[in-house]
Amino acid sequence: MASWFLRGLRRGVVTTRYPKTIDPWTRDLPAAPAFHAHRLTTALADRLAEQCPAGALAREEAELVVDLGRCTGCGRCVDLGGGAVVNSGAFLLATSNRAALIKRVPIGGSDD
Amino acid sequence: MIDVLPETELGDQLRRRAIALFGRSLHIRTVDTGSCAACESELRLLAAPHYDLHRLGFFFTPAPRHADLLMVTGPAVRAADNALLKAYDATPDPKAVIAVGACALGGVYTEDALLHGAVDRVLPVDVYIPGCPPSPIALLQGLLVAVGRLEDRVAGLSLDLDTRRSHATPRSQ
Repeated sequence: MASWFLRGLRRGVVTTRYPKTIDPWTRDLPAAPAFHAHRLTTALADRLAEQCPAGALAREEAELVVDLGRCTGCGRCVDLGGGAVVNSGAFLLATSNRAALIKRVPIGGSDD
Repeated sequence: MIDVLPETELGDQLRRRAIALFGRSLHIRTVDTGSCAACESELRLLAAPHYDLHRLGFFFTPAPRHADLLMVTGPAVRAADNALLKAYDATPDPKAVIAVGACALGGVYTEDALLHGAVDRVLPVDVYIPGCPPSPIALLQGLLVAVGRLEDRVAGLSLDLDTRRSHATPRSQ
């Protein structure tokens, strides 16, 4: 057996596993937005889509379409959203299906 | 662009299976197609002691001929087409391509005379890693997804906090 493996066992060094826990501070990293759907209005959705510098947000009828692949996590939508938009903290987003990164959020609030 | 395996579903499955066989020994070549270098600085950190990708059996190689997988960053500027396609053709089959970062996934830059705007408009992409830049842990997850050692859970993710909460609480009848 490889000596580096035995040496590792003796010292109690984990040499082969994926990180046991994700570091807690990674939750604070800039990440894609999440939404409180009942507080979203079409007017707000339009404004969010307009100001998104990465082109990750768009409104389609009564849905806000969020492309997680395009999102840069800049947080402008969070600033503009007034509580309807928050940092999702989701960053482990690797996928082989590009379409799975496109999320649809129903617009639950009314304009008046 | 020549692919040895046919572009059928079975061929695709076979190719994925072959990539999974790389499992614990996979050599990576990074290709920059006009990125701002933020993705590169995160990629570089994979080799630092904290993330230490070698313990998982991943290695960076400077030569595409030695590589099993290309990690492509940047919005695929047209000026890099030649280099990108040469690197892809020089990588022996079976091979995989990972698009790294928001630019490579179609964000920020749209298609115009200077750039394609997304890597999958030039090369077949196997795994997409979002982020601007993706953190090293996200890159590591992407690599493990590429070789089938971690599941990708993106399809189950909901960005709607209201329905997420109602799903979490047990419904009364």
